[in-house]
Amino acid sequence: MSAIPLTPHVSDHQHPWHLPYRGRIGMYCLILGESAIFIIFVLAYVFYIGKSLTGPTPQQVLEVPIFNSICLLSSSVTIWLAERNLEHRKMKPFALWWALTIVLGLIFLVGTGMEWHTLIYEKGLTVSTNLFGTTFYSLVGLHASHVIFGLIGLSLVLIFTLTGHVKEEHAERIQVLALYWHFVDAIWIVVFTVVYIIGR
Amino acid sequence: MADSTFPNPAVPIAGGAHGALDVTPPDVRKHSVLEILHSWITTVDHKKLGILYMLYGIFFLLVAGAEAIAIRIQLAVPNNHFLSPQVYNRFFTMHGTTMVFLVGMTMIFGFANYLVPLMIGARDMAFPRLNAFSFWVTAFGGLLLYYSFLGGSGLYGVGNAPDVGWFAYAPLTARAFSPGHATDYWAIALIVSGFGTVGTAINVVATALCMRCKGMTLMRMPLFVWLFVVVSGLTLVTITPLTAAQIMLLVDRYLGGHFFDTQAGGSAVAWMHFFWIFGHPEVYVLVLPAFAIANEVIPVFSRKAIFGYAAMVAASVGIAFVSLGVWAHHMFTVGMTSASNAFFTLSTMLVGIPTGIKIFNWLATMWGGRIRFATPMLFLTAFVFQFLLSGLTGIMLAVAPWNWQLHNSYFVIAHFHYVLVGAIVTAIFGGIYYWFPKATGRMLNERLGKWHFWLFTIGFHITFDVMHIPGLLGMPRSIYTYEADRGWGTLNMIVSIGGVIQGIAVLIFAYNMIVSLRSGEKAGNDPWDAWTLEWATSSPPPDYNFATDPVVSSRRPLWDLKHPEDPDWKYEA
Amino acid sequence: MNEEQHSGSHSETIHLPAPTAWPIIMAFGVMLAFAGMVTNFGISLLGIVLALSGAIGWFRQVLPHEAHEDIPVVVENIIITTTRPEVARIIVPEDDRAHLPVETYPVLSGIKGGIAGGIAMIPPAILYGLIAQHSIWYPVNLLGGAGVANWRNPSTADIAAFHWQGVLVAIVIHAITCLLVGLLYGAMLPMLPRRPILLGGILAPVLWTGLLHSTMGVVNPELDQHIAWGWFLISQVTFGLVAGWVVAHQSRIRTAQSLPFIMRMGIETPGLVRERESATENEDESR
Repeated sequence: MSAIPLTPHVSDHQHPWHLPYRGRIGMYCLILGESAIFIIFVLAYVFYIGKSLTGPTPQQVLEVPIFNSICLLSSSVTIWLAERNLEHRKMKPFALWWALTIVLGLIFLVGTGMEWHTLIYEKGLTVSTNLFGTTFYSLVGLHASHVIFGLIGLSLVLIFTLTGHVKEEHAERIQVLALYWHFVDAIWIVVFTVVYIIGR
Repeated sequence: MADSTFPNPAVPIAGGAHGALDVTPPDVRKHSVLEILHSWITTVDHKKLGILYMLYGIFFLLVAGAEAIAIRIQLAVPNNHFLSPQVYNRFFTMHGTTMVFLVGMTMIFGFANYLVPLMIGARDMAFPRLNAFSFWVTAFGGLLLYYSFLGGSGLYGVGNAPDVGWFAYAPLTARAFSPGHATDYWAIALIVSGFGTVGTAINVVATALCMRCKGMTLMRMPLFVWLFVVVSGLTLVTITPLTAAQIMLLVDRYLGGHFFDTQAGGSAVAWMHFFWIFGHPEVYVLVLPAFAIANEVIPVFSRKAIFGYAAMVAASVGIAFVSLGVWAHHMFTVGMTSASNAFFTLSTMLVGIPTGIKIFNWLATMWGGRIRFATPMLFLTAFVFQFLLSGLTGIMLAVAPWNWQLHNSYFVIAHFHYVLVGAIVTAIFGGIYYWFPKATGRMLNERLGKWHFWLFTIGFHITFDVMHIPGLLGMPRSIYTYEADRGWGTLNMIVSIGGVIQGIAVLIFAYNMIVSLRSGEKAGNDPWDAWTLEWATSSPPPDYNFATDPVVSSRRPLWDLKHPEDPDWKYEA
Repeated sequence: MNEEQHSGSHSETIHLPAPTAWPIIMAFGVMLAFAGMVTNFGISLLGIVLALSGAIGWFRQVLPHEAHEDIPVVVENIIITTTRPEVARIIVPEDDRAHLPVETYPVLSGIKGGIAGGIAMIPPAILYGLIAQHSIWYPVNLLGGAGVANWRNPSTADIAAFHWQGVLVAIVIHAITCLLVGLLYGAMLPMLPRRPILLGGILAPVLWTGLLHSTMGVVNPELDQHIAWGWFLISQVTFGLVAGWVVAHQSRIRTAQSLPFIMRMGIETPGLVRERESATENEDESR
């Protein structure tokens, strides 16, 4: 204590006290946890590639869903555009881009449903057929369930936008939801790579 | 003074006895039982939820303890038939599952719920309703698990609890080998309670990062809070793999999948990997809160600031990271490549470095201090000693060839009970003695506390020190009974006697809580003369915690107020 | 800290999240929805209905505005005081503190010491071979014997003969061990407070020999019978003395111990390092 003491408390009070937004932190945590689930399912998929004792194999039955993937990935761009518009209080374009995001997500879901329908009823691949079936439906289904949850959230926002309840001050909450959507899209890149490129 | 804008600060009475000023309770109107019940069920208050978590944990501690006593009676003498083999299998499965998920996880989150907002000067958690949801879904998950005793195979079967061990190895869990719904109960109940765990983990991280009071930078957060941020982060990446593996198990069991079906190309070893990717970090999820309690109690009762704050933070984060890369040391006997054996041996030993840093820091905190051996400090001193010993047997088991000899023997059982009971439960007891006055306004009885401590510690050492020996003599875990000529009889009898002594100690503890709650000595706001923010409000704290938002300028805000002539912030960069 | 800083007059209230039953209803619903898998599908249905209604109710609690209740503030006198007003500092005597080496030997010195010690160790070993067994290969094979694949219970003549694998393995083991021990000396000698040569040159080899002597009988009894421990000790001490001497006579370099952390990290931006004069020895206080 011989020297002049530092007075950090004085300087602290001069700066404004900023803390991160809790919703954003919460969403990052959720994404962290969800990533761990997906890592396990992806690991299981990779581990079981080529371990099926009976057919059909991915080579025989899988077709690369290019159109679907483009729809889902481009929805990340549209939702980003929607966020931008919301920040600038342009509610009309916001609703438009937001609705387009939902449509793109729906196209992806319908596409997945059609793919599964073909696989189950025409090509005879179910969860219990072989290991490929088990891992394929689990991984893609897990992702699809996340898309569904995301779509429910997005639709709620759209409904409230159309009824005029969404205002510019909700931007932060909506960005958190968009964050989740980006995560769902990013996971699709991994799932797509593993299932349709490496696994095929 | 800029640093004294505190919750209702008042004139400090130099040398004044603490608790000198009695506070009249704000609401003197008597509530009816129904009203009280309603207020607890609908509460979103972190303090009430924290207490609910603790009560729930203590209740299941008694249940799982009773199961343990039954197991020990069964094993006390050779060729015993106290329990039937089937019931024995159910009991050790339920004992393990209960202790880890319903006692350990709930109690640590009880501490987190009650203390994290108080310590950072917040009014509540970041997501109060999610907090309530998390508790209730965890609680209902636990009830669902225990409902299996009543309704294992549908509503018509009776008494069909899970019996596959708490790690539920494949292929025993396959439909063919575990018919009925017992295993499904295990998976589903844990998935349900897992939702709550993840919810609370998210909540704790968000609270600690987003709700800190003014001036509380990350490097001024109490170590307790830091540890719980690490624990919650670790929980997020730990519980979720278990959920994933259990979903796979359910896909196998309900939809005829082949994840763990070796006859269709699946792999039973994959389950082991997935389970232990959860299972080993889970140990650190449970033990880091014990460190957190030690980090608060040891400095206060040594009358010194914690030694090596930054090193403690770094070591905690280090433990979390290292713990994610050690899981396969549970699987040395599976037959991995020697490269994997070497990797997991070395990574496991690496854990010794950050834990060693912590132990030395605690010792350095005690060194030269004016140590007061009140009950919390007694427990935490025993914790340091017992945690060290459990770590040493852990290092022994990390060596693959040694592990080959002792895998799944009672040596392993003794080792991990040393961690779970000797370190975690001991520290939690200490923590309860330390914070009970804050939560209830009354001190726990010190004389009963000393009885509790000594009986529990002596019983612990009788049980778990001796338990290493039958393991070295080759007694495998999870066996129903054994022949008289194995030479394990006397040892097992000693182990069982120690178990009963611990049981008595826990009952004394329960009695102490009830008696002290009714007629314990009034605690006052700050009975231990401590330094963190939770002691700057009344005991129990009002709903809003702090009437004014506190402002802090050091790691020990109350020290600064108690010693304005020599505050901490002068020394903290 | 004065009376007027009492916050909160009697009329003041504080916003807190209002209690709500929706989370528990949703939790119960979620549990039931899952419990249906092990009981009856009807229970799942009930659970889903409950969970949905819980979710909707919860949603309405939060949006458009979070439901709050106002808790009246009760003014209390919170006295933050201590019965231990005095602060004592733990006095650490100047000569009692741990020594962090301010200067140390470079890594190279350890390697040099190891090489020198390793060379110096050879003559006594060879001398022992010549005197005791009349063969210079005897000590070589004792060291390198492990590398000769099918070496079971060798006779003395066997060990005294020339084996090229033995020589090769012995050279490798000798070189590596000497370098590693040399490096260890280079790192450790500055930490030894006094007489590094005594400790590093004599004490360490004696302890090491004692350890080997007591364990070799268990680890490898055959080998144990063939080792003359007196000669072994002489070679070890020779190594220790020479390596220690070489290390101790290298020029020292400054360590970064006395520099601030940021400088040690190699960050040289001006202004990062603040002048602090008093913060080093004030860590402890008690009572």
